Amino acid sequence: MSWGLFWQAMLSGITNSFVYALIGIGLAVIFKGTKVINAMQGEFAVVGGIVTVFALQAYGVPYFPAALIGIAAGALLGLIVDILFVRPMMRRKAGEESFLLLTIGLAFTISAGLLYFVGRDSYLLPGIGGSGVVEMFDAFIPVHSYWLVGISVVVVILLRLFYTYSLTGLAMAATSIDPIGAATNGINVTLMRTYTFALGGAVGALAGILVAPLVSVNYHMGIALTLKGFAAAILGGLANPIGAVVGGLVIGISEALAVIGISSGYKDIAAMTVMIIVMIVMPNGILGRAGRRGG
Amino acid sequence: MAFARNKLLIAAVAVVALLLPLLLQRHYVDVMVFAGLYGIAGLGVALLLGQCGIVSLGQAFFYGIGAYSSAYLCVTLGLSPIFGIVVGAALSALIAFIIGWPILRLTGFFLALATLAIGMIGGILFYEWDWLTGGTLGIGGIPTLSLFGFELNTPQRYYYFVWAIFLVAIWLSHNLVTGRAGLAMRAMRDAPPAAEALAVDMHALKTKIFVLCAVLGSLAGSLFAHYATYVSVQSFTVERSIIFLLIPVIAGAASVWGTIIGALFVALAPELLSGLGDAHQVLFGLALVLVVTLLPEGIVGLPKLVMKRFGA
Repeated sequence: MSWGLFWQAMLSGITNSFVYALIGIGLAVIFKGTKVINAMQGEFAVVGGIVTVFALQAYGVPYFPAALIGIAAGALLGLIVDILFVRPMMRRKAGEESFLLLTIGLAFTISAGLLYFVGRDSYLLPGIGGSGVVEMFDAFIPVHSYWLVGISVVVVILLRLFYTYSLTGLAMAATSIDPIGAATNGINVTLMRTYTFALGGAVGALAGILVAPLVSVNYHMGIALTLKGFAAAILGGLANPIGAVVGGLVIGISEALAVIGISSGYKDIAAMTVMIIVMIVMPNGILGRAGRRGG
Repeated sequence: MAFARNKLLIAAVAVVALLLPLLLQRHYVDVMVFAGLYGIAGLGVALLLGQCGIVSLGQAFFYGIGAYSSAYLCVTLGLSPIFGIVVGAALSALIAFIIGWPILRLTGFFLALATLAIGMIGGILFYEWDWLTGGTLGIGGIPTLSLFGFELNTPQRYYYFVWAIFLVAIWLSHNLVTGRAGLAMRAMRDAPPAAEALAVDMHALKTKIFVLCAVLGSLAGSLFAHYATYVSVQSFTVERSIIFLLIPVIAGAASVWGTIIGALFVALAPELLSGLGDAHQVLFGLALVLVVTLLPEGIVGLPKLVMKRFGA
């Protein structure tokens, strides 16, 4: 294999890693605020991507507002899921496996709903900054990839600032660490959980919108996105958005190596295997316990 | 009194079950055969979920191993069906042990997502290893089973065969969970530190149940292959694992007999809703979501819930 092809696979792996990181960050946001692992995080991305495509192509909304509509759709979906399903289960103090079954069921339902409404087609968005490419190490990288990486980094920084300095962010984190303590301090615990789900939905939808120019979005890709995002998040130690970026890179690069070394069909196997091994060997993620703090 | 009434009820259900294939149209007998097949695989998931509190999202992988073992050994190598079934079960047990031993150290969300990852890896391998599985083209021409020279080549005959196996498997599971092992499992599920203090080797116990679950999945897969006489990758996706998981969730995982209700639900509901086209899957998913949200103990727990709300 020539160096050009090697770098082509490597750089597209690195680009993908930011998508996984964004999904992972959405998962981490929801875990941070509710202690629930949201198995439908990938569906937020698919819904966000498809809503944006329809706003842009069927209704002629310009790119930027269309993307905002997509993000709003993700946030709204998160809101609905929380109010309709998570709240009654939180009241009942349902166990971990119930929440998992709930979110798996929702993932299945939304995927089936998308099949019903938009069919089996795959949807592509035009890239941000046009469809141009940039040459780098003998490989061609779409301009959009730079935007994707840039926007992801900005989102990570914003979330970090939000959880460190804003009162709402602090209240959202406090809600999950100690719900009773938070309530005694006058925090509306239920409302903070709803905010958490809306924020997680918005971040998820953004991931879908950013990936749609590179990989076409279809109704059944959600679950794989969820798993890879989850892999990125746990590699980074779950509660830490910066960790998710590092985790995303590990997953993206493992996939690229599988594509280079074996064949592109084994890409997902590499990602899942790395995830399982990390869970067993490094339960606190690659950054360890120290990396878990902050963020 | 209650006991006599129960006996009467069981007798009535048994008579209906025996007469069913003679009364129903061929198509519905076919659906009932699938209810039995899914029930066998779902029973394994029910043991993991109900007795150990483990959510398995990878059962379709073992279902696939069973089906492909039967298909490959019978069609490609021309061996007798019994080899396919036994080799599939043994292979599943071995793989479940190799995977289960390390991953059963995980708990909760992490373990569930690990099983989901395994299910997905399995699905991809079935697709990629087309020299073994035929890929999307699949393997056709799998012989039907025969029992002491009696060909099980119609849905009616297969209905009795599959449901007999399903019921025996439930009965054995019932004995397992009401016996000493079941006591240890429930202790492990509800109070892990106490179980540990009582010298329950939790990791070994979980691994054993995981292996048992895989063997049941593989058996169901083999029986499926001999019934459908054709297997391809579409039958072993993550969606199928979710359907297997739905069986104990719908019925209430704590009861092994409940898997009958769960199996009937997952086989019949899509059939009844199929007039709605693609929308039936949405309703199917919503059913799962609503059961999880509203009925924590599944349909089996419904009477208790109603009593609590409206009764004394």
